[in-house]
Amino acid sequence: MDGPRHAPNSHPTQQAEAVRLVSVRKTYGAADNPVVALNNVTVGLPAGTFTAVMGPSGSGKSTFLHCAAGLDQPTSGRVFIDGAELTGGDETALTKFRRQRVGFVFQQFNLLPTLTALQNVALPLRLAGRRVDLRHCRAVLASVGLAERADHLPAELSGGQQQRVAIARAIAAQPRVIFADEPTGALDTTAARDVLGLLRQSVRQGGQTIVMVTHDPVAASYADAVLFLADGQLVGSLTRPTADAVAQRMARLSDEVARRHQVAVGV
Amino acid sequence: MLLLSLRSLRRQPARFAASLLATFLGATILMSFASLLDTRVAGAVDPDSAKTLVLMASVVGGWGLVIVLFAVLSTLSLLVSQRAAEMALLKSIGATPAQIGLMVVGEALAVAAVGALAAILPADLGGGLVVHLLHNTGQLAPDVTHRFGAIAICLGFGITLVAAGVAAVLAARRTTRTNARDALLVAATGQRPVPRARIISGVVFLVAGLSCGITTAVALRGGGVETMAVGAQGAIFAAIGFALLAPVLLRAVIAVLAGPLRVLPGVSGYLTERNVRGQLQKMAGAVVPIILFTGISTGTLYMQEIENSAKAMTGAVQTVADRNTETLNLVVVGMLAVFAGIMVINTLVAATTFRRREFGQQRLIGATPPQVLRMVGLEGAVLVFTGVLLGSLAATVTVFPYSVAKLGTFAPDTSIALYLAVVLAAVALTLGSSVGTARRVIRTPAVAAATTRI
Repeated sequence: MDGPRHAPNSHPTQQAEAVRLVSVRKTYGAADNPVVALNNVTVGLPAGTFTAVMGPSGSGKSTFLHCAAGLDQPTSGRVFIDGAELTGGDETALTKFRRQRVGFVFQQFNLLPTLTALQNVALPLRLAGRRVDLRHCRAVLASVGLAERADHLPAELSGGQQQRVAIARAIAAQPRVIFADEPTGALDTTAARDVLGLLRQSVRQGGQTIVMVTHDPVAASYADAVLFLADGQLVGSLTRPTADAVAQRMARLSDEVARRHQVAVGV
Repeated sequence: MLLLSLRSLRRQPARFAASLLATFLGATILMSFASLLDTRVAGAVDPDSAKTLVLMASVVGGWGLVIVLFAVLSTLSLLVSQRAAEMALLKSIGATPAQIGLMVVGEALAVAAVGALAAILPADLGGGLVVHLLHNTGQLAPDVTHRFGAIAICLGFGITLVAAGVAAVLAARRTTRTNARDALLVAATGQRPVPRARIISGVVFLVAGLSCGITTAVALRGGGVETMAVGAQGAIFAAIGFALLAPVLLRAVIAVLAGPLRVLPGVSGYLTERNVRGQLQKMAGAVVPIILFTGISTGTLYMQEIENSAKAMTGAVQTVADRNTETLNLVVVGMLAVFAGIMVINTLVAATTFRRREFGQQRLIGATPPQVLRMVGLEGAVLVFTGVLLGSLAATVTVFPYSVAKLGTFAPDTSIALYLAVVLAAVALTLGSSVGTARRVIRTPAVAAATTRI
């Protein structure tokens, strides 16, 4: 199945695919009785789009994100990020591949506690040995509304502010793709709305590509398109999603999965 | 709350391994030497033998007491601070400070009791070894047999339990005194001011150490046992003082090293400087055993060297008895140094293991495993530099005055090789345990490490 081609505001030259998975399969456990987390997933995500990935618990959402982001290696199949194939290698090689192309925003804010907001934003650049332009980092912090908080430690910031710093950190390194794993999972409604608005804004205005795993239909409605996963397979997509449409599709999907599992165990 | 503490002990025994090891080894050393007092009171002991036993128990036991207290204090503080988040959580769901205190003290006492209980048999053997050596060196009449009894048990259990209890109360008070929001903040940043009482007592111990040194050099020239006892006391007091002042002194050291660290290529120097500055008290906890290791080893080894030089100066040939005494000294120092060395490893392994999540976070934002290991190595270098520096300073409070008293010269004409060996051992222990543990810790996939909540 092919993914969404729909990319409303992207520039023509950005029509290239930012992420492509070809027949990706990921299994865990013993070879004679493997647990299939991803089953033959093929999808391409155009550059400059905001894609949400949804599915019931155990559908393979997290595995999808980890494989697409180069955090985990598929059992078989190929993964391309910005046209470059993710090939096997040691952890150092994988890290270098990722830090040139990929940024992350996680549910737990994952800021380093001994660094200020600004220092956290600049850290990926330092780690990659790139020249650190503090003016640029400050500007990115300002764009997420935290100009005044640049010199605060994470513990002095609210959860929503910490997550905005994490987004600024991902944006400042200018990666090809930002992967977000339940970025609003630990936030209240207002902070969550701010964070989602920021993610969408970085796509619309900055041409950023974002792939976000979420279980929240409201969060998914901020994306350009939603991919639905069930039992490790892509089972559908929705463009220009609304929260209601996503919620309905999710409810149907959960019922189908429950029925299929009942059939499988012969109930 | 006591039920809760026993349950957390049963559920997470690995967490308490470091505290258990510290209390077990500490109680072993304490009871080994305290059993000499049992031997003394057990029956007919001639006056010379009695004097040897009491001197041995009090002088060596004194050093032992100091390092055991510090080891128990520092590992328990580490344990409590690693659980700061858990305690903040308890507090936020309505636990009173007294309830949390009871839980922490209950855990500490339970761990200390198990450690002391396990130490009985090894301590019996250790005391027997010391008596055997004393027999061999002719300092103890052959008919005196080693006893292990009530004094050893009482002192061993008493000191270990009191040390653990006090450590737990101090550590818990730090957490429970702050309000719930601040407790969460401290858990996240690990920063709190160094208590004034700690600074004042540190200065008092330093002054006491210095006055021991001055007394040795000025008033006890050429003296016998008292010179050795007071002389050795100087380094002990100075080492305690430096250990108490470690957070303050580490801050000064990192301020001086900040320049060189920033000049280093790559990001490791920058992160090291930020980490040490940002977590002074945690880092100082790892410096303390290095100070004690360096102080004890250097101080006592060079006292023995000076003793030998003094003998040589008077033209006397070293007798068999002298050589045996030297062996005995070295064995005793060896025991204490090994203990301090194990504490260096113990503290660093526990502290580094706890950083699993931090390493995972760094790797997710683009740090390669070699970058993480370089950072840990550099931090270790800063810690061992500070510990060796302060430990050496503490040792000079014994070594130079003792040299003046015994040899009449400030700088003893002894080899520097011993000192270099001590420094090398400190460096190897520190870097081996921190980098070795980090290497093991970062085998966890980055994403799993960063998203777990320890």
